[in-house]
Amino acid sequence: MLRITDNPVYNARILSMFLFSRAACLIALLTILFLASPAMASPWQASEIQLARKISAVTGPGAITLDVVNLSSLRKADVEEIRLGLLNELDSLGLHSVSSDQAAATMRIILSETLQDYVWVAEIRQGNSEPSVIMVTMSRPDKAILERPASALALHKALIWTDDNRILDVALPVSNPAQMIVLEPESILLYVLQSGHWQQESSLTIAHPRPWPRDLRGRLVLRKDHLFDAYLPGVLCRSTATAPLGINCRESDDPWPLSPDRSTLSAFFAPTRNFFTGALSPGIQKQTTTARFYSAAPLPRDKYTLWVFATVDGQVHWLDGMTDQAAGNLGWGSDIVSVRSGCGSGWQILATEKGAGPHDTLTAFDVADREPVVVSPPMEFSGGISALWADADSATAIVVVQNSETGKYEAYRISPTCGQ
Amino acid sequence: MRLTGFRLLVASSLLLATLARAETRPHYGATLRMAMRAAPTSLDPAQPDWMASRNLFPLVFDTLITFDQRGRLQPALATSWGAEAGNQRWQISLRQGVTFQDGTAVTSDAVAASLRAANPSWKVVASNNVVAIERDSPAPDLPAELALPRNSIVKRDGGKIIGTGPFAISQWDPGRKLVLTAREDYWGGRPFLDAIEIELGRSLREQLIAFDLGKAQIIEVAPELAHSAAAQGRRIESSFPIELIALVFSHDPQSPDDARQRDALSLSIDRKLLNTVLVQEAGEPTGGLLPNWMTGYGVVFPTAMNLTLAQQERAEIARAPQWNLGFDANDPPERVIAERIVLNARESGLRVQLANGATADLRLVRISLASLEPHVALRELTSALGLPQPKLSGDSIDDLYAAESALLQSKRVIPLLHLRSVVAVSELVKGWSERPDGAWPLADVWLSAEKP
Repeated sequence: MLRITDNPVYNARILSMFLFSRAACLIALLTILFLASPAMASPWQASEIQLARKISAVTGPGAITLDVVNLSSLRKADVEEIRLGLLNELDSLGLHSVSSDQAAATMRIILSETLQDYVWVAEIRQGNSEPSVIMVTMSRPDKAILERPASALALHKALIWTDDNRILDVALPVSNPAQMIVLEPESILLYVLQSGHWQQESSLTIAHPRPWPRDLRGRLVLRKDHLFDAYLPGVLCRSTATAPLGINCRESDDPWPLSPDRSTLSAFFAPTRNFFTGALSPGIQKQTTTARFYSAAPLPRDKYTLWVFATVDGQVHWLDGMTDQAAGNLGWGSDIVSVRSGCGSGWQILATEKGAGPHDTLTAFDVADREPVVVSPPMEFSGGISALWADADSATAIVVVQNSETGKYEAYRISPTCGQ
Repeated sequence: MRLTGFRLLVASSLLLATLARAETRPHYGATLRMAMRAAPTSLDPAQPDWMASRNLFPLVFDTLITFDQRGRLQPALATSWGAEAGNQRWQISLRQGVTFQDGTAVTSDAVAASLRAANPSWKVVASNNVVAIERDSPAPDLPAELALPRNSIVKRDGGKIIGTGPFAISQWDPGRKLVLTAREDYWGGRPFLDAIEIELGRSLREQLIAFDLGKAQIIEVAPELAHSAAAQGRRIESSFPIELIALVFSHDPQSPDDARQRDALSLSIDRKLLNTVLVQEAGEPTGGLLPNWMTGYGVVFPTAMNLTLAQQERAEIARAPQWNLGFDANDPPERVIAERIVLNARESGLRVQLANGATADLRLVRISLASLEPHVALRELTSALGLPQPKLSGDSIDDLYAAESALLQSKRVIPLLHLRSVVAVSELVKGWSERPDGAWPLADVWLSAEKP
């Protein structure tokens, strides 16, 4: 695989795009600052008050000395913030911090944790009596997600939804007010953007006669004559065309569209497994079958479309309507998607990486003459990628990740921009 | 006691390993071969020594409720549950359309019969799609109790045991071999594997040979050998420290001197050395019954050796009888730990000698925690150790701490270490995740066709 430094670097296409990008950044920054302002209050304050009151109930007012020991995953800065906050709360209750030789009570505050909670334990010693032990608990929040700086062709990710349930796909129809459709194993959820927040408008139950297979996959496809179709193994759900929104689900072996453009290629999905059978509809010119595959991506060329398949046996196949060429093992994972960036050859493949580290990554490849060239640094996610689909306009992709820290599913919209 | 880098590494690898990764999607098919030391002669989850086979039960049986990776309760055969005021009477709604492995439907009558068989003191009533459970006293932790493997839903048909789990029994040679086949109609989705073959009653040495010859893809590894097994290039997966090693006295202290002698023994034991040298850092020293990762307060129970104080305590005892320490002579780590305790005791002037279990005043025990819910884990632990049931007045962490402190104050038990459970896993095995409690979720495992 080529190194990043060996790769072509794209120039920005048009100035207005750049200016828009700057303006968007400014708006985003202001939004972040605005949203962050309520969070300036310490997230630990309630627990600090609770623990201080419990300590005060044991010791009463007086001189104390306090030592804080961190046995949890809290950062050093948080520990210091908690220590200061606790001293402040204790002070307000008449417990003043002094040196240990002047203290009537000494206390060790242990910041500990369990699988779900932070546990703060106070061991209080007064004179020669047995120490008193009191504690408070609070839920551990989800960890923040860090994003790498990008270079060359840059991939940007925007978190659009988080859920405890498995997210199979997310679609964002163009509408006013903005709508979001979330496909989950047992339901399809419709959200509407109101006052900057997604409000759930409806939850539609998916009827399916048989248990879902493991590693369940599903795809939302936006339609013009009705809002969407949802493809699931052996089941097709079609939304109603008129309000109120509903869905009709039925057993179906209809092929799944392989790209957002319904007029192109579809493929049959194995109803009790996690892959496509390899049967194509209507086919790529004369080619109507290929090997069983997990994902496929079109790369439009001047006179034809080159289709790329990530097959179940770990290979990559190129199909152009005439030949089915096995590219061997490119080191790609099971999930690939193509996006229209306008950079380089115009379209790039985004591929997961086989044998990646503990977190899945997504890398952009330009495919000139069937030789993939890395054009972006790998974008690392906070866990394993469970779904990767092209968005409705093919300019962006939707990726779903199960966060390894929280166990929650996170849906991101991935957009490529040309490098500097 | 701070979190060590190794512990954090183990903890994070546990969480990470659970994920289905898109680097390569799971493959359906293939047979997984594994081996284990336990040689159960029954697969009935309601048997008294169910803990020895606890990792087998989830393959064949389901519980009404289960735990996720973070110890949160999740629906399984139950879809919802709730208690009436007082937490004494619970209503459990059942999942529709679930079948036993013989194709018969799981009804509320079948669920009630299964729960009654496992818990004769429970009053269980079935109606429509709901099961009502009434207890003698408030049971705020009933949902967590229902997640215990011994409360798996079982259909007993003559001498036959039938479950609802992801795999069906296709061959059962008691104490020797178990072959399981994936159920196509499993309500939670057909497992990726076609079958699992488990050799039972295999020594750790036999397992290691089978693993190195490629005849087994998952084997057990002695915790104290985890580092060396990894150093030799094997892929090692560890749970959180889940197995308690403790000294348990056969009776309550008979006098103040008896109690003081127990204190002196506890103070004389070098738990740190037991962990670093004797079990090769496969665990954590503990002064509590439950591990710190489960309660958050475990660190307040002292673990440090204090020979001076131990000798002072000993000096205040008029007559300190010699104690016989029982242990499992077939378990090498138990032997070396017991020998070390004898030496430590001698340094503080106490006389302890190794003995067989029958005549022991105290015995060295190893016991795995049964639940990720600490209140239930404590109750199950005390029951298994033959200690009085903890007096839990509520379900708060303060109540738990008070109950555990009271148990330790009774001086019937001296906790020593919490050990991890360890397995070696072939690189061909994908999707493997050992949960914090050491369970094996094999329904999510798949075998890669590609050699790493």
